Amino acid sequence: MGSIDSLYDKVKRFVIEFTSGKGTSSAMTGYMTGELQTVAFIMILASFFRIFSVPLGIVLLAAVVGALFFFGPMIKAMERENSSGLNRVLFWVMIYFAVIIAVTLWG
Amino acid sequence: MNESISNLWSIPLFIIIPILAAILLNVLYSRKRAISVTAVVSSLALIVVSVLSPFGFHWFTGQPAVLPTGGYTYRADLLGWNLALEYYYGPLQQIAIFLASVLLLFVVLIAINSLKKNTGTYISLLFLTFMSAAIVIMVNDFYHLWIGVEIGSLIVAGVVLATGEAVSQKAALKYTFFSALSGAGLAIALALILGVTGYANISDAIIAMPLNDASLASVLYVAFGFTVLSWIYAGGLAPIHPLKADVYGSAFPHATILLQTQSKLMLVAIGLVILRLFGTLPFAKEVMLSVSVLTMMIGVVMAMLQTDFRWTLAYLIVSHSGLVTLGISLGTVQGIIGGLFQAVNDVVYMSVLLLACEGIYYFGRGTSIKTVSGIAKRAPWLAVAAIIGAFAASGVPPFNGFQSEIILIQASLNYGMPELAIVVLMVSVTTFIALFKGIYNIFLRPDDAPQAGEKQGMPVPRMLYVCLAALIFITILFGVYPQLAINFLNEAALKVVYIPWVP
Repeated sequence: MGSIDSLYDKVKRFVIEFTSGKGTSSAMTGYMTGELQTVAFIMILASFFRIFSVPLGIVLLAAVVGALFFFGPMIKAMERENSSGLNRVLFWVMIYFAVIIAVTLWG
Repeated sequence: MNESISNLWSIPLFIIIPILAAILLNVLYSRKRAISVTAVVSSLALIVVSVLSPFGFHWFTGQPAVLPTGGYTYRADLLGWNLALEYYYGPLQQIAIFLASVLLLFVVLIAINSLKKNTGTYISLLFLTFMSAAIVIMVNDFYHLWIGVEIGSLIVAGVVLATGEAVSQKAALKYTFFSALSGAGLAIALALILGVTGYANISDAIIAMPLNDASLASVLYVAFGFTVLSWIYAGGLAPIHPLKADVYGSAFPHATILLQTQSKLMLVAIGLVILRLFGTLPFAKEVMLSVSVLTMMIGVVMAMLQTDFRWTLAYLIVSHSGLVTLGISLGTVQGIIGGLFQAVNDVVYMSVLLLACEGIYYFGRGTSIKTVSGIAKRAPWLAVAAIIGAFAASGVPPFNGFQSEIILIQASLNYGMPELAIVVLMVSVTTFIALFKGIYNIFLRPDDAPQAGEKQGMPVPRMLYVCLAALIFITILFGVYPQLAINFLNEAALKVVYIPWVP
């Protein structure tokens, strides 16, 4: 009984983490589909590294799968990072620009 | 030197007509009938000029190009130093400007019907939006490229501000702030290229590009980085996408039609310039591909989270910008054709969805999927239009989105990147889910009982249905007969890949 209760509690906590406030069915569907989409997307991104080295791609893919189980759900964090706050956008623009210059200059 | 000067009469008209219309409309201010006549006649004139114009160049400085042998020529297809600030009007420009001017006409007609005050000023901004897009798609020199992007971003802020809501003022302010950043970045990039090559003309700069000079490589890379930054900004790619989505979401839906058209044309124009200038640099295409993939995925995931149909569309427009740039970034003929065709289709089917969204407004309860329901019962044709738009955006045959997405998938597979094909498929499927989440709730869910004192709305104007019918016709036409559009895009793709110095 105890183990069933705790599993139920874990699932409930996991689901509640998807959305804050009143989770209507439409909003909840969106967040859950978004989470699945993000997971699939990050796995595909990891698999891109096979271009440089196949073993590197496999290791990254395995690491990403592990990280997704550990850190999920990520959709709230993704929503937060994609807000239109000026500071946050400016931060990401600087990161992007630094990466673009670094990759092209030293790549 | 028997050739005649090819200073096309039509090219200045694409700039002069919108400017004159904008000045006149501002003067007319709120004289509704005079505004209607001026705006409609000007839009029709732009459509007629885009159809009748032959292909060719317009040189502002007017001197002939200098041949490597020492002679002179006015033929742009010959290898020579053009030295001119020039515009080019070819098949790509024709279909882009024709579509943009048709959309301008529709937007103007709807704005005249729906706006009660400041109509002249608002419609003049719409004309200037068209003008900035026309400049950028025709330009073949750095000065006009920079001016087009700068003017375009300022006008976007004006169009968004015109809604008068607090959210739109915030969106416009943030967007303008970044305009300063990326506009300055583009100016630096152009200054660096000018310094390295000595030419302001893009064709000349490509020929003079010191790609094998290791001492100048870092300068080129920094110029590339700044040009990509302006591309990201002008097109609303990640990480600027939240600001662009704010802009799309907080403008009137009919104005968003022109804003997204302008963005797509800028994405195409600047993307092709980047490919022509930096396409042979190591990692250039990879950087462009990465930005495209991130934009596609983040845009579509964010669209899933929205509970307002306007914002769902705003994020989908961003996401589908990634589809356009994906094709261009591949740098192959098939990929570029796919990207350009996607841009054309995207502009059309998103306009269908945005007009359907505009129609929802007339029922008086906004566009939130939580508060609006049962619209299909009151406006069945609006529901049909929204569903057709959603099918086209999701790449369902026989609509136009299917044709361009299948080309992009084939191009990705032929490029040796099946992962990209999977991403395109994922974006299509998620677009379908995101759109039908909104369409079900707004159109198909049974209507809640109206509350006492609730705003009852007003009838949807007949003009909106006429515009929707015309756009749906184009959606199906390009879906059934894609070659009709592709014939206009082949030349541009071939030139970029094989003779990049020719505009």
